[in-house]
Amino acid sequence: MAISKEAYKVMEAIVGGEYISSDPVVCEGYRSGPGGYEAGLGYERVMTKIPGCVIMPLTTEEVQKIVRVCNRYKVPYVPYSTGWYGPRSHCHVEDELLIDLKRMDDFEIDEKHLYAVVGSGVIYSQLQEEAMKRGMYIIVGGGGSQCSAIANMIGDGWSPLSYRIGLPHRRILGTELVLPDGELVEMGSLALQDDPFWGDGLGPDLRGLLRGFTGHRGCMGIVTKMAIKLMPFQPEKLEPTGISPHTSLQLPVNRVKWINFTMPSKESMKKAMFEMARAEIGAGATKVPIFWRAIAKASCKEEYWDIWSKESEETIRDFHLLRVLLVGFGSEEQMEYEERVLNDIITEIGGEARRTRPSDESWFKNADSAGMWLMCGGYVSVDYVIETLEHALPHGENYAELKKKFTPPLMPDYGDPGWFQSFELGHQGYSEFLVYWDPDENTDGVDQFYLETSKENIRKRFYTSLLGPHQPLYLTGPAYGPNYHKWMLAIKDEFDPSFICHPPVPLAHDEFVEKAEWMRPMKDWDSPKLP
Amino acid sequence: MLKGKVSLDVTNLDNFEYDMSKCIKCKGCYWVDHIYMSGVNFSTRCPSATRYLFDSYGAYGKMRIGMAVLEGRMEYSDELLKTLYACTLCGACDVGCKRNLDLEIELSLEALRIKAVKDGKGPMPEHKKVAKKIIGQHNRFGSPHENRNKWLTKDIKVAERADVLYFVGCSAAYTNPEIARATAKILNAAGTPFMLMPDEWCCGNMLYSVGMIDEARKLAGRNVEEIRKTGAKTLLLSCAEGYRTWKVDYPKMLNISTDDLGFKVVHLTELVDELIKKEALKLTKPVDLRLTYHDSCSLSRLSDPWTPWKGERGKWGMVSPGLERRRGSSGVYQPPRDILNAIPGVELVEMVRMKENAFCCGAGRGTQEAFPDFAAWAAEQRLFEARTVGAEAIVATCPWCKDNFIRVAKETGENMKVYDISELILASIEG
Amino acid sequence: MTVKTKLRDIVGPDNFSDNPEVLNKYSKDFSLVPTGVPNYVVKPKTVEEVQKVVQLANKNRLPVVPTSSLVHFNGAAIPKQGGVIVDLTRMNRILEIDEFNRRVRMEVGVTWEQAAKALAKKGFRLMMPLSPHPMRSVVIDHLEREVITNTVYDYGEPLQSMEVVWPTGEIFRTGSASVAGYPDSPSKGANPSGPGLDFYRLLQGAQGTMGIVTWANLKIEYLPTIDRVLFAPVEDLGYTIDFLHRILRLRVGQECLLLDNTDLAALAAENWPEDFEELRATLPPWTLILVLSAMARRPEEKLKYEENILKEVIKNEFSEIHLEQNLPGFPGMGRKLLPLLRQPWPRKTPYWKNRCLGGCQSIFFITRPAMAPQFVDIMEAIAAQYGYSVDDIGGYIQPIEHNRACQVQFDIFYDPTGEVDVELVRSLYRDAISALASEGALFTRPYGELADMVYESATGYATALRRVKKVFDPNNIMNPGTLCY
Repeated sequence: MAISKEAYKVMEAIVGGEYISSDPVVCEGYRSGPGGYEAGLGYERVMTKIPGCVIMPLTTEEVQKIVRVCNRYKVPYVPYSTGWYGPRSHCHVEDELLIDLKRMDDFEIDEKHLYAVVGSGVIYSQLQEEAMKRGMYIIVGGGGSQCSAIANMIGDGWSPLSYRIGLPHRRILGTELVLPDGELVEMGSLALQDDPFWGDGLGPDLRGLLRGFTGHRGCMGIVTKMAIKLMPFQPEKLEPTGISPHTSLQLPVNRVKWINFTMPSKESMKKAMFEMARAEIGAGATKVPIFWRAIAKASCKEEYWDIWSKESEETIRDFHLLRVLLVGFGSEEQMEYEERVLNDIITEIGGEARRTRPSDESWFKNADSAGMWLMCGGYVSVDYVIETLEHALPHGENYAELKKKFTPPLMPDYGDPGWFQSFELGHQGYSEFLVYWDPDENTDGVDQFYLETSKENIRKRFYTSLLGPHQPLYLTGPAYGPNYHKWMLAIKDEFDPSFICHPPVPLAHDEFVEKAEWMRPMKDWDSPKLP
Repeated sequence: MLKGKVSLDVTNLDNFEYDMSKCIKCKGCYWVDHIYMSGVNFSTRCPSATRYLFDSYGAYGKMRIGMAVLEGRMEYSDELLKTLYACTLCGACDVGCKRNLDLEIELSLEALRIKAVKDGKGPMPEHKKVAKKIIGQHNRFGSPHENRNKWLTKDIKVAERADVLYFVGCSAAYTNPEIARATAKILNAAGTPFMLMPDEWCCGNMLYSVGMIDEARKLAGRNVEEIRKTGAKTLLLSCAEGYRTWKVDYPKMLNISTDDLGFKVVHLTELVDELIKKEALKLTKPVDLRLTYHDSCSLSRLSDPWTPWKGERGKWGMVSPGLERRRGSSGVYQPPRDILNAIPGVELVEMVRMKENAFCCGAGRGTQEAFPDFAAWAAEQRLFEARTVGAEAIVATCPWCKDNFIRVAKETGENMKVYDISELILASIEG
Repeated sequence: MTVKTKLRDIVGPDNFSDNPEVLNKYSKDFSLVPTGVPNYVVKPKTVEEVQKVVQLANKNRLPVVPTSSLVHFNGAAIPKQGGVIVDLTRMNRILEIDEFNRRVRMEVGVTWEQAAKALAKKGFRLMMPLSPHPMRSVVIDHLEREVITNTVYDYGEPLQSMEVVWPTGEIFRTGSASVAGYPDSPSKGANPSGPGLDFYRLLQGAQGTMGIVTWANLKIEYLPTIDRVLFAPVEDLGYTIDFLHRILRLRVGQECLLLDNTDLAALAAENWPEDFEELRATLPPWTLILVLSAMARRPEEKLKYEENILKEVIKNEFSEIHLEQNLPGFPGMGRKLLPLLRQPWPRKTPYWKNRCLGGCQSIFFITRPAMAPQFVDIMEAIAAQYGYSVDDIGGYIQPIEHNRACQVQFDIFYDPTGEVDVELVRSLYRDAISALASEGALFTRPYGELADMVYESATGYATALRRVKKVFDPNNIMNPGTLCY
């Protein structure tokens, strides 16, 4: 048995024999790779293990009991909602307990007060549909609508629909967090009432423990329940149509419409986003990376490459497609008004509307995120940052230069400077870089590129998602804050003195660099001996 | 084989190393297509993963387990066999994956079963019993072979020779004669002459499905040859499982394409739909029912025709020559619905999970035999779904589905009528 | 060297005091929180000075109480255990106004009046709570989660990244200001979250117990091109709240609030006390105020569609709502109120909360909007028990973000010079908060004695909070005796 017999027996009594197993077949089913986010990369190969035992609790009380047992018997554990995030949300040490939260799929919705309460097992597409049925909507994080809503809300959580809404952090209401030592913290109104409608803390807000700009990937406790804000939408149905693989939502174009615009330059796209935000119109404004257009057109991988291989640095440089979402939240008249204003803006700037399908395959129900793997079999968003548009554009250009040095093994993208969009009605801008590689070839260069991105961000003073568990903590720590890592580790130490909650995260990437011979030469920062 | 020569030959698990190793755990194989997601209820379409919950029971787990089997890291055990066989091979995972990626999930699962049998570990003991009956008595029940045509009644006209050959199948022949009779009478009423096989044997669905490919291939070879001898242009089936076996698995086993069989494989619903639209068949008698239609997997998402393929896989995982993947897009989804809508008095209400998102009844591909509790559970889920949309009857196009629904409705006291579509078509012809 | 000497050396003798008269000014505020005298007051000008003070305090276990303005209503800056007041009013620079990203970075000493003027010159405004005191700190009001009057923006809080001096003396920047060399960086500080942890959340609502914020980035908005202030007299609060549930989801309006006759009179009265008395007597029990606004492009068209939405809803669903550009019987009310909603209270006029009787103890909490009428009833009942005239208690209901929740506020006006009055109000206040809390009022900002009540009911939260506090402030020097520390 991979965890101690005593611990197993106690846990079996907590959940029942049907919901715990240390059978090798069951455990193998929870292997991280080789496919998935960060597919076939060194981190996955070096750092992940299959669990020694899998347990599936139903309630917060069961989770607490399990965590306490882990503390008693020093059993390392990792919380797991869907396993989608890739190696970083899987077991990293031998004989680890994987706490599979999929049974915790309770769901309630309060239409009047615009929120839903979910357990860790509820995914975005379920939540989105329940919201839309009632004239509301949510942001389905870019990871896809197959993400656990809670996991994404404490990990990432944005998409072009964040244009109006902004950070996911503000959409978290009453929440339950089981701390690494098994204590329960109820946050927001749940701290005082059996009603999760409100999120602010009682005084200082302990939602600060749930995440940073990006999340802790499960090393700071287990969120078992969360009330999530819903946003008012419009009343007409987005009709699902088509047979797989050509399924999409038909948009009621009098109330919901995407419009693509060809723009003369990147600067003009930025200007258009600025003017839209200034006019306070729109529900989404994003640049379209050209390879997505190729994916959308292609019926298979081979056809994608056929289309893609015809592109060049020139075509990339000259391709500026702005995609705007309009929603008539209040009325058709509002929609018409916004479209007139939008056309005024685009005309002034010299853009041109293109014929745009009255459908959505991606952002509302986000059915397309898995398509990111179609091209090469391997994909990661190596950095994604919410800052300003003025940060996003140079970040992209800088990054494109760096990427060239690592192509191959990265997929050739002819210098594409990443994806950017406007958030919070122009108060913020967003940049994201997606990279692709063939996982069946030598991927050492991808691992190195990942780390080099982190170093470049530090050198050039860009903000980044590559903080906390996503890159070596002792590399990024001194550079941001400074010394944010000190506080993170102190909090970790306070609540997880035994270091059994998802070890060795948040120091896993530090360990990876030490362990992987192709990474070691890149280590040029100080760090103490890792625990 | 990750790079180099590769084919869709299911007798070699190595052909699916790329597919198994590229699963990204998006669980598109488990969830209903997100575009069609209806909320927190009825949100999954993989019965195994929904029932057993551990990741190992979903395709995302099975692909990883498959890699372990391929790489010799996994020993056979009861748990491994249960993981491989407590699964109806319904194809939801295959279609779900191909919404965005093109991984051959279904073929990987078939190849794993074939390997298990080749390694002397599979199939399940219950499957072996049935296999013996198929080989011995040419039907899966072990009933006397000579009774195979006993379903025929005097009022049914069977032609000596005709373009259409009705392949009755074991269920309709032995346990569901109402389906065979209804089908035959429909053909008679439509003025479509049909013949029967001179000596009809089991199609071998079970044999292929549980991985006994050598036995299945032998049977396939024999059956195809016998049909060719009759000169039939169209092979008609009223059983979805049989339909899939003939249309897809036979060419797969014989390494030919569906088109190369030498005859068209058609389901009753495809023919009847055509006849109605040509006005060669009129449905005039009312059938007053509020009913829902259950998409049998083998008629719908599993029924895209087969084309053998071999080639090379290279950089970025690209294959050449080009390969048109079977994604379930050309399944028989609409014809049964059009037929039901053409019956006066019928009110067709759709279940939440329909067409390529349908939740399998639980009976097929060896599941009923080896895991009857699981099969019953799946049927119970589906009947509950039917009840939720206010249906008083559920209609299928496959005796496996029908029998499983009836069995479970009886056990649970579910007040839901269960029909095969042939019965309703006939009722609307005859009254 | 004594602590005193060291403090004086850090900030300079002109910015240090232990004069009892000076200390006395910091010992009390407009709240009922008992007085507490500090030992010293320092007024640093730079973050380095703040850092040195905190380091010194840490070494000597000396309590530190930061304050960013000289106007306080909640008692948070009254020292409970002596120590040094770190008065940050000299740190009052507006550091940058970033027009492209609609962001302002300002030191904590910047007041509403100062900020509003500077921003208006460039065509911008800050999201504001209801008519804030002009001399209060903008940053601190947002840090303390004052609820804003604007209900239409989905992204909520204006606060972005900050600079803080931790209780252990480190200077730290939160969010995207954490990049090295900020603001000399491509990063503008527009992201409040991270790095690593969401430090900004731990600083919010902290009443100075988690560190000293020295500057912050805040979102700013454009000044609208045109505005239309609409009023509806309210007889049935519940009905009006239902109306708000309906229209605020349609994203109509900028500012939206409900004021009772007392609070509206206190805000709107020009000639005091005659206008106030008359207004209070003649205004409807409650008034709904809804401001429709439009930005630069096609502004009339925007107003038109919003008005049409309102017309349809009222016609088809809420025929009892009479929403007009004028409050019947009160001509020019719109003209009077719009500046009050867009700018801080004018400095030359006694603050509206202090105008009535001099003193004002506010009770404010978050709740579901439909419960607001019930809380109004509770408050009235408690007042009646104390023989306290409801005319001397103002009411204010602030819908939040499409009316998903609201803040209910009761302003108990009283004469602070009358001893009897003060004690009576203190008892009334205590009974009121207890009664309101037991019916579900959510006190998310537990000032003064509210803290004991709240944390005794939320022991799990309090325990976790203390553990976090221990990490950041192991010697418990930051404003001890506040919250649950």
